Order: sequence, then structure tokens, then C-alpha cells
Amino acid sequence: MNSFAIGLLVGLGVALVSAAIVKWRRRDMPMSVAEKAEYLSKRRARMLPALAVIFLSQQATFFSTVNSPAPHSAYTVKISAWLVLSIVLLLALSTKGFWLERKEVRDLIDDENTRANRNDAMRWGFLFSMAAAIAVYALTLFDVTVTARDAVHIVMTMGIATALIRWGILERRAHRDG
Amino acid sequence: MAERLANRLKERRSELGLTQAELAERVGVTRKTVNTVENGVFVPSTLLALKLAKALGLAVEELFSISPD
Repeated sequence: MNSFAIGLLVGLGVALVSAAIVKWRRRDMPMSVAEKAEYLSKRRARMLPALAVIFLSQQATFFSTVNSPAPHSAYTVKISAWLVLSIVLLLALSTKGFWLERKEVRDLIDDENTRANRNDAMRWGFLFSMAAAIAVYALTLFDVTVTARDAVHIVMTMGIATALIRWGILERRAHRDG
Repeated sequence: MAERLANRLKERRSELGLTQAELAERVGVTRKTVNTVENGVFVPSTLLALKLAKALGLAVEELFSISPD
């Protein structure tokens, strides 16, 4: 098995273990559907900016090792872990999320206001992705070498991180009592 | 001229002695959504506006109105 596959499996393993731990910690918290939706929605509002920071710090690792002379296995593991995290975050942004919860809880969490906030966040993410793509393109006009992999990293990072931060801001604002 | 959607949600909810959470449960949304509608941060869909009006025992135009910003 090559190091890329190992990296993918490690990423998936960490995600599954984290989900299981979260589920186990809530085993003694009997809640109604509405209470659970409120609890999870607040937790998501707190988590979104933190996820953006984790995602961005992963990019810092990528760009600090990208110029190393020969890609080694640790580098490949980092790349594949980044890929797994990107896919998980994209799924979280584009679906109701909380995949291990009951349907009624998931439906309630994804109510009208949440959908509006998520749509706004996705719009911001798209605009920042396009801005990043334009910036990368402009850089190449000045004979700066940007590989396809670097460009994909930059565009995806800008899009996903912006959407996460924007959604987090909107959700926190929505939870604030006025 | 900019216009915004004003509402009597908080006033009517208080009259009926309901919390945001109780009203949210009646219309099938989270408390957050009721909170944002009350504060004028979020403009609800027609469907949600009708549900809110029904839950609060008012016609939708009694609950919501257009006001200059």
C-alpha cells in the first residue's frame, strides 16, 4: 500500500474516531429533538471558525514543504490528509451535516435560516475562490511559476475557508439574543 | 427608498406567554430562526410567515408590515 492510500485511511480513521468520541460523550444527555438541534446548531457556530483555522494551518504545512527537493512519504500523507479534510468540509458545507444524527434532528438543524446562511457563505466562498484564481492567473503573467497542484490548493483553500468563516459569523450572529 | 419588514412577533409572543423556543417548536424551526426573524435580521419565506402568523393567532399582515428603513 502506498503512502497516499495510508494518508487517506489515516484521515478517514481520525474523522470516524472523532465522530464516535463526540457521540459517546453525549450518551447521557437526554434531549428533545428541538433541544438537540439547538445544542448542535450552537456547537456548529463555535466550530466553524475553528475548522477554518485548522484547514488554513494545514495549508501552511503544505506550502512550507512544497519546495522540498523530493516528495517523501510524510509529504504525501499530508497531501492526502488535506484532500480528506477538504472533501469532509465540502460535504459539511453542502449538506445538512451531522450525518450520525436522526433525520428529524438533521431536518430541524437545516431550517430556513440555516439554509439562507449557508447559501450566503457558499456565495462568499465562490467569490473568494474566483478572486484567488484571478490572482494566481495574474501571478503567472509575471513569470511566477505556479504548478497546477499549488493553484488547486490556493483556490480551494480560499473558497472553503471563506465559506466556513462566513457561515460561522452568520450563525453566531443568528444565535445572539437581540 | 429602502424598505424593511417590520414585525410584531416579540410583542405577540409575549402576550401569549410563549418563549422563542416554544414558538419555534410550534412552527418546526430552531429558536435561532425565530430570534433572527424577531430581530429583523432574517426575512422569512411566505411559508414560514404564514406558519408564524397561524401559531400566534394573527393574520400574516397583522404580524408583518413594510416600513421605511
